[in-house]
Amino acid sequence: MFGPPVASINPPGLPIERGKIHEFACSIFDDNVLYHDEVAAKEAGLPSVVAPPTYSAVQAHFASAEGMSGFGDLGMELDLRFVLHGGQEFEYIRPVFAGETLTSHQGEIKTYEKEGRRGGLMKFAEIESYYTDEKGEVVLKIKNILIQTAGVVKT
Amino acid sequence: MSDSAFDNIKEGDQFALEHNNFTRTDFVKYAGGGGDFNPIHHDESFAKMAGNESIFGMGMLTAGMLSSVPSKWFGATSVKKYGVKFKSRLWPGDNVVFKGTVTKVYTEDNIKHVDMDLFATNHKEEVLIQGYATCRPWSP
Repeated sequence: MFGPPVASINPPGLPIERGKIHEFACSIFDDNVLYHDEVAAKEAGLPSVVAPPTYSAVQAHFASAEGMSGFGDLGMELDLRFVLHGGQEFEYIRPVFAGETLTSHQGEIKTYEKEGRRGGLMKFAEIESYYTDEKGEVVLKIKNILIQTAGVVKT
Repeated sequence: MSDSAFDNIKEGDQFALEHNNFTRTDFVKYAGGGGDFNPIHHDESFAKMAGNESIFGMGMLTAGMLSSVPSKWFGATSVKKYGVKFKSRLWPGDNVVFKGTVTKVYTEDNIKHVDMDLFATNHKEEVLIQGYATCRPWSP
């Protein structure tokens, strides 16, 4: 038997890995030497390569395996065909480096509805999350805004 | 490090990056890199069934690329705050300019801080993302 699409990772939390940072940075076309070159990062006095500002997307997509709510647990039914990503805000207490393990935690969730100009009744979910390091200190706070339109948005 | 970028920075200074002719492969590469496997971004028949002309890029791909403006300008460890609002979608074939403009230079806790507005704009002059960032020098 094969397992589910996302199996649990143990110990919990997601290791921040040099190879994954390299792959992620390539996928956003960013050749910043501090994302790819561990020797240069160490010469700059850093523990290892730096995770780019939106690298947490990687961890967010693993979040359901860490016990955080996925889309289905927002207290509202979301239809993936009509869900738009409205926006996202990041606050970095400090940069994140390869070699660390971060654990994601769910913060407050707010849901509300608004009449949209183009797509009828729109449902909003504002989802706060935060990430802690191995010492339990918060290193990153995120607010994510999801919007479900009543139908496909014409642009 | 680009700590020196802070030295003579002033309100109105700009920095821009561009990427031309986004391909479906670029979207798939980001699906692997970022872990976003929503089929609307890689499955043409699913995207069309939902009423779209074709698949379209992930907002977080454009947002990731827009974050390169502050991180290339002021350094990979300099970004303190970053926020985006998604306005229009990224389509295959789009050419996009990613631009930052300094709105404020100030000192907080004895450290120089720079606030900037950020825009990702396509070749039809449509804003894909409107964002902001705050940068400051950071050392371990």
